[in-house]
Amino acid sequence: MGRRVSVAWMNLLHERTRLLVAIAGVAFAVLLIFMNLGFLGALTATTTNFYEQFNADLFLSSPETLEVSTTTAFPRERLYQAEGIPGVSRVMPLYSGYVLWRNPDPPHTSRAMFVWAYNPDDPVFLMPELETPSARRILQQPNVVFYDLRSRPDFGSSEIGTVTEAARRQVTIGGNYSLGGGFAADGTLIMSDQNFVRYLSPRPLDLVDTGLIQLTPGANPERVVRALEQALPADVDVYTKAGIMLRDQTYWISSTSIGFIFGLGVLVSFVVGIVIVYQILYTDIRDHLPEYATMKAMGYRNRYLFQIVLQEALLLAAMGYVPGLIVSLGLYELTLNATAGSLPVQMNLSRVGFVLVLTILMCSVSGLISVRKALSTDPAEVF
Amino acid sequence: MRRVYDCFVNFTFLKRVPLAWLNLTHDRKRFVTSLGGVAFAVLLMFVFTGFMNALYDSQIQLLTKLNGEVIVINRLKNNMFVPASFARRRLYQVRAFEGVADAYPFYISEGAWKNPETGQSFSVRTLAFNLGDPVLSLPAVNEYIAELQLPNAALIDTRVRPEIGPTEAGIVSELADRRIRIVGTFELGTDFASGNGNLVMSDVNFLRYFADRGPEEDTRSFATADLGVVKLKPGATVEKVVAALQQALPADVLVLPRDGPDGFVTRERLYWQENTNIGFVFTLLTTMSFFVGIILVYQILYTDVADHWAEYATLKAMGYSNAYLLGVVLQEAGFLSVLGFLPGFAVSYLLYNAAAAATGLFFQMTSERVVNLFVATFVMCLVSGVVAVRKVQSTDPAEVFGG
Repeated sequence: MGRRVSVAWMNLLHERTRLLVAIAGVAFAVLLIFMNLGFLGALTATTTNFYEQFNADLFLSSPETLEVSTTTAFPRERLYQAEGIPGVSRVMPLYSGYVLWRNPDPPHTSRAMFVWAYNPDDPVFLMPELETPSARRILQQPNVVFYDLRSRPDFGSSEIGTVTEAARRQVTIGGNYSLGGGFAADGTLIMSDQNFVRYLSPRPLDLVDTGLIQLTPGANPERVVRALEQALPADVDVYTKAGIMLRDQTYWISSTSIGFIFGLGVLVSFVVGIVIVYQILYTDIRDHLPEYATMKAMGYRNRYLFQIVLQEALLLAAMGYVPGLIVSLGLYELTLNATAGSLPVQMNLSRVGFVLVLTILMCSVSGLISVRKALSTDPAEVF
Repeated sequence: MRRVYDCFVNFTFLKRVPLAWLNLTHDRKRFVTSLGGVAFAVLLMFVFTGFMNALYDSQIQLLTKLNGEVIVINRLKNNMFVPASFARRRLYQVRAFEGVADAYPFYISEGAWKNPETGQSFSVRTLAFNLGDPVLSLPAVNEYIAELQLPNAALIDTRVRPEIGPTEAGIVSELADRRIRIVGTFELGTDFASGNGNLVMSDVNFLRYFADRGPEEDTRSFATADLGVVKLKPGATVEKVVAALQQALPADVLVLPRDGPDGFVTRERLYWQENTNIGFVFTLLTTMSFFVGIILVYQILYTDVADHWAEYATLKAMGYSNAYLLGVVLQEAGFLSVLGFLPGFAVSYLLYNAAAAATGLFFQMTSERVVNLFVATFVMCLVSGVVAVRKVQSTDPAEVFGG
């Protein structure tokens, strides 16, 4: 084994400049794949990261709802029915919709603002700013809302005490929180259900947009989901938190074509990687054809030659992967800074592993294609 | 005099072309691989710039099909996603102005479409207008005016997303929980605001579906329109009419020319450029593809230089100048860029069509974009050529043969 590795290694090392270019080629293919996956992952995460802040284990939603910002409402009775299922400790109705928010600063342009609304006594969100008793009291006041600090700057001042208009009614910012609105909302507000009725008139409170369910400690979520599905009519679907996030992500990835776009980006980068490695291995085999023929004439089997080329391929994969990974970490950082956090690209272990597997696959495929020439060598012909 | 003549001969294009060409084609198989490499780099650049342009172009497709030089909208509608409508009587006011031939109301609403095969609902955008008004310059729509007059009749976009189901005349399904019958098709494509596709129907049918959809949805009537499409008389100046309208009409509406740098179409495109990361993402990916291309071409040229090492040294020993050798390698780069670009372009063209069919986005291969990418390909090959040739230039003939 040791001897064979050194042949592969020597073959590669023989021409230093070419090796460097080869490594750069593989590294760039790896980098392109990492960037495509990074962008896809970041966009996917931004569609649903606000769900992490929901203080609920299970969710009820209409089967006609495709994602959380454009919901079809369902009757509130479903939540009361759910409350009777063993394992359910609390149910909370959540209302949502859009209001036109007038920018309090000149030129006072209005933009569509997304609203979450609930009974202030329900612990719907996990944000610490909303958990204090004083926050609850402020939310209960008429025409007072909490304003998302991660709303786009075009909505204007986020300062507590700012007075402006929402849906042509006066409104006061009573507090702040940090949540973000995913793909659908450029900005979000939180208000009490009573205020929701005022601003989104004629919305009645007996039609719920999303139902939140907390489980008793120790309850088995899967069992409760099954019990709920059995007990409730077909006008609501039951989701776990991961399940509802997946529903929203699937919707956004397909409706904006980003899944297709970056998937194709990964595929094309992968093919380009194959071409790069193939070029290198092919040139190498061509240059050492007499040597390979000699080895064959000496009695080495095809398998041996095959292993050498495959080892070269794997060495290239390893040497190209590492700089590719390092540079992508740098570019991820650059992307974070350049987009001011609106594109949260983050490396994770499964992606590191997945791209490593892709790289090995990429190099092996090129190895297999290019080795055919060496295998078909007839020693007599070369000499 | 003799030196001048030499220089002249050396720099005569004809004499050097065969050497560069023969160097490249000497090994047929490698030549094909090299072209494959360049073609793939070209493909990568086409794919990423293509996606960026498709995402932008798709947003303005519908807007460019509006048959009027001036557009009236609600001042709050800062992009097509905002469902703000304005009082239709503003359009009656518009009709009184000098230079205005007619002003048409255009109605837009989102509604749930039921896929007739799976029974699942997806949101689609409905476009509606008075069938007597030539609002859209889509010939396919104008062919079906008679059929559209039937109750509950609509046309479906053939470029909807696959989730919508089949798109042919005769399909019966549900829109906003009411029965709907498809009487024909047209071709438009999706954008961010259109959900999964488009329907076209008469304004009377529009009211049937959207006048009363229950407490959670806005009610629609003929009192408000989403877009006002203003057709001017021949010879009227667009800027003058826009200025006159904007001055006379109340501030609840915004009057914009359709085209031009301050126009409605450009404004929509700018909104998506400024409010999304599309530009950043795809510019970064295209730049990286460019560098991948440099590496691919460098590999090819470097191998060539290495293989013909002795020949280059011989040429130098014979008295050929470095400039001559540079010329040879640069010509190789030129050949590679032209010959590699063609297959790359051809494959990208096919890929654009496939991607357009799969996504409903609008993939457009304009001659300007093709020329830009060809220039990029040429620069890519040139840079690699210059880097690769340095090795030849520093060749000392004595060394090559001495070793």
